[in-house]
Amino acid sequence: MVSVLDRKLLREVRSSGALLLAITSIIAVGVMCFIYMRTAYYNLSLAKFRYYNQCRMADFWIELKKAPLSDVEPLASLPGVTAIRPRIQFFATVDLERVPAPLNGLVLSLPDAREPIINDIVIESGGYFTDRRGEEVIVNSAFARRHRIRPGQTIHLLLNNRRQELQVVGTAISSEFVYLVAPGSIAPDPEHFGVFYIKRSYAEEVFDFDGATNQIVGQLDPAHRQQPGEILRRMEAMLAPYGVATSYGLRTQASNQFLSDEIRGLGVFSTIMPAIFLAVAALVLNVLMVRLIDQQRVVIGTFKAIGYSDAQIFLHYTKFAMALGLFAALVGLGLGYAMSHLVTSIYKRFYEFPNLETEIFPGTYAGGVAVALGCALVGSLQGARVALRLNPAEAMRQKPPVQGGAIWLEHFPALWGRLNFGWRLVLRGVFRNRLRSAVGVFATAMGAGLLMCGFILVSAIAYLISFQFELVTRSDVDLRFKDERGASALLEAASLPGVEWAEPQFDVGCTFIHGPHRRRGAISGVLPDARLTTPRDIDGRRIRIPQSGLAMSRKMAQILDVSPGDEITVLPTRGLREELRVPVAELSDSYIGLAVYADIGYLSRLIGEELVLTGVQLAVDPDPLPRASLYRELKQLPAVQSINIRADVIHNLETIVETQRIFIGFVVLFAGVIFFSSLLNSSLIGLAERRREVATLRVLGYNEWQVGGLFLRESLVINSLGTLVGLPLGYSMALVLSTVYDTEMFRFPLTSPPWVWFGTVGMGIVFALAAHAVVQRTINRLDWLDASKTKE
Amino acid sequence: MSVSDIVTASGVRLRLEDVGKTFQMGEVSVEVLRHITFDVHPGELLVMVGPSGSGKTTLLNIMGGLDSPTVGSVRYGDQDLTTATSRELTRYRRESVGFVFQFYNLVSNLTARENVLVATEISRRPMAVDEVLRLVGLEERMNHFPSQLSGGEQQRVAIARALAKNPELLLCDEPTGALDYETGKHVLRLLVDLKNTLGKTILIITHNTAIAPIAERVIRLRSGEIHEMHDNPRPQPPEDVSW
Repeated sequence: MVSVLDRKLLREVRSSGALLLAITSIIAVGVMCFIYMRTAYYNLSLAKFRYYNQCRMADFWIELKKAPLSDVEPLASLPGVTAIRPRIQFFATVDLERVPAPLNGLVLSLPDAREPIINDIVIESGGYFTDRRGEEVIVNSAFARRHRIRPGQTIHLLLNNRRQELQVVGTAISSEFVYLVAPGSIAPDPEHFGVFYIKRSYAEEVFDFDGATNQIVGQLDPAHRQQPGEILRRMEAMLAPYGVATSYGLRTQASNQFLSDEIRGLGVFSTIMPAIFLAVAALVLNVLMVRLIDQQRVVIGTFKAIGYSDAQIFLHYTKFAMALGLFAALVGLGLGYAMSHLVTSIYKRFYEFPNLETEIFPGTYAGGVAVALGCALVGSLQGARVALRLNPAEAMRQKPPVQGGAIWLEHFPALWGRLNFGWRLVLRGVFRNRLRSAVGVFATAMGAGLLMCGFILVSAIAYLISFQFELVTRSDVDLRFKDERGASALLEAASLPGVEWAEPQFDVGCTFIHGPHRRRGAISGVLPDARLTTPRDIDGRRIRIPQSGLAMSRKMAQILDVSPGDEITVLPTRGLREELRVPVAELSDSYIGLAVYADIGYLSRLIGEELVLTGVQLAVDPDPLPRASLYRELKQLPAVQSINIRADVIHNLETIVETQRIFIGFVVLFAGVIFFSSLLNSSLIGLAERRREVATLRVLGYNEWQVGGLFLRESLVINSLGTLVGLPLGYSMALVLSTVYDTEMFRFPLTSPPWVWFGTVGMGIVFALAAHAVVQRTINRLDWLDASKTKE
Repeated sequence: MSVSDIVTASGVRLRLEDVGKTFQMGEVSVEVLRHITFDVHPGELLVMVGPSGSGKTTLLNIMGGLDSPTVGSVRYGDQDLTTATSRELTRYRRESVGFVFQFYNLVSNLTARENVLVATEISRRPMAVDEVLRLVGLEERMNHFPSQLSGGEQQRVAIARALAKNPELLLCDEPTGALDYETGKHVLRLLVDLKNTLGKTILIITHNTAIAPIAERVIRLRSGEIHEMHDNPRPQPPEDVSW
């Protein structure tokens, strides 16, 4: 049976109206963030774990020029290595009839007949290879979906300079391409990049790789899985004669790294975001509870006089807060559940899993309720303690008038004297109710911080795109050759239709060594006065390509712990392949990858080769007609490994920015909840405390808008103070984020153009006005004649 | 338990000996009560009169276990209230005393009946709620909220709430203070009837000297001291007093 006190409780909760809405919405948003972020965290972690097991995900990858299988087999018997799979891997140009531009593809060999292998595939439609023909292909699902490729159709790939027609037998995904990005890119682009699995026997034939391999994937025993460096070095040494281009462990494998960073980020956010909301909620609830206890001191005194024990009264008031917490938790669970589905659908756009579904984790939901109740308990403790300590006789005596001493501003008569009556009332209200004002300032600071941080993220992505693809890389089309070409390739490229300007590029894969620090990477040789690759410093100023030495990206310099002027050891994978001592002359800034630049002539001399090209960069006539004919030519161009079209890259990134905006939109909404609710709470409590004052002003002839104006000014003062704290706070949050996401592949620039600052302040004012609308409505409806009789 | 079952009140004996109370207000000490000594006998109707600030409410609070004296002792039967723990005082208030306040102190969002239930739910031997409400003449209005009741009705609810726990002692702080003349007299009649029919010991404090004649014993307080204490062998019915 519901006790009378519980009935009182329920009626109080129900009659709390706007205040209830304020508190519950903050707690609910906190719980929602907790639920959907934790759910996403567990979903992705579990999906990754299951998928990696299902496909027997490799622990390491070694890429080399060409090695006979017989010389690769001994790797499997190295201590720590449990299994290896040599395969054939090539980049290819994809020619789809319906698509004018050439597309890029990664071609990988699979056993002719299905068997359990490392980096296996999961077939999503059609089937595995048949015995009927060699020219069969399994296409990765995202690319197939985007281009409506179905089993039974044929597609054309440019394999080893020959245009081949292949029959699609199936579409599939694989754990090594959960987040499928083209080399050097930061975002999946299924429109322009796909993976194509072909039979090993066919690959051997078409690439002239009979009994040979150019990529080895393998697994390690658990003891070596986390630190594969030593084993990789040993294997590289064994494979040295076959031209090892690169080797890396699972940790730095592109797809795994993006996925793991995302999971790590979710882990961090699923703690920080709910913590922000629940901290604000606990403080706002604290103000509400202290006020409630104060309002009910006579009731509390009466209960004690009747014979209720302190424990019963303490429990009664904590129960009030717990009831709010429970209600908010339930709302939060519902919202969190809905958000989890939305987030999963967004993740499905970027991550390819066999079955990424929103699982319900009971522990997470129970945790959501627990943190909400915990927050409610913490928020109610101070108030309930006041109730506990209230002497019953004291409680029923008239409350002494509130101390009305001068506030600190009044000690500056020159300033105070200029303020009119209204402002004095407002400032006294703010500074006398220190706890309430402080909580208001804290909450709005958090709200402003979130807004600011969200806006910085939006501006960062836009800045990143313009920095990388308008300032640093200015070419319209980049061609990478399969093998190095002579200088004549530049002239050939320059004479392609629509090409206005062409520049050579010469990339040399190498290992950089400085003291104990080692890093694989590449040096890009460009013209000293290149127009299409112009490295920049953080302020966008052009960095000179040194005549000798390297212009190194700051991130790479950090990894190697070098400064300009230092000498490092470079071990190139081509040319003489000797250890070279090279000075670092300049540092550049970039937000993608670990670029290292050098003068193309200097680089050729350095590694002891003639001037050769690994690619060319083209500036192309923007007119669609010459572009179309250029694309037609490129589709047929042999010896090309990949073709990158800048407009496509930018377009793809902008699609991702759109998704990012959905998330940022939510952050703005959440920040709004904090702003709106905390200001509403503060104003309504202020109004309840000062009903008589309001009534007196009305009796004196103030209209409801003039009275409302006083409360609005108070809100705006708190809002301004909070925003003042929130702006640097938001900047610091973004700074922390930029550190969390400072990876080798991707970093985000910490930019804060004026709109970020003005946007934060503006939105803060909008939310304050929205909260005030509710307060004004309450003032308009106030029965001030009755209020003027209120016994204080 | 029915009303008739508890007509014979057990022996109530509240003894105050040399009670004094000093409030510390900042640096100033204010002595509100001094040298208060008297006994409360079982089943009597005692009226304590005094002007505002004479210490009446403080004395009532001390007698009801809501406050403790600075000096002196208060004994309820064998129990020394001045040395009682918080838990013991709670039990004393719960089982032995009922309070009636000048401003009724009803919980605004509970109905009349629920306001009485607040008391019975924690009581060991409560009276039947509906019967108590009938006793105070509110059986028709029991499902109304305080804001829907007149002042007199609210005070009746407060009396029902005090009574429903079936305490031996009813402490009434200015029970007619917020009521109009006629309603005030009705409330006094109710208290006298409760004493007569249920044998309750009733202590009324008031600034209204005109009420004193209804008492069997009158104590006059002035400036925190007992100015006068006398028995009234022929109490007047409330209908005969006027102010």
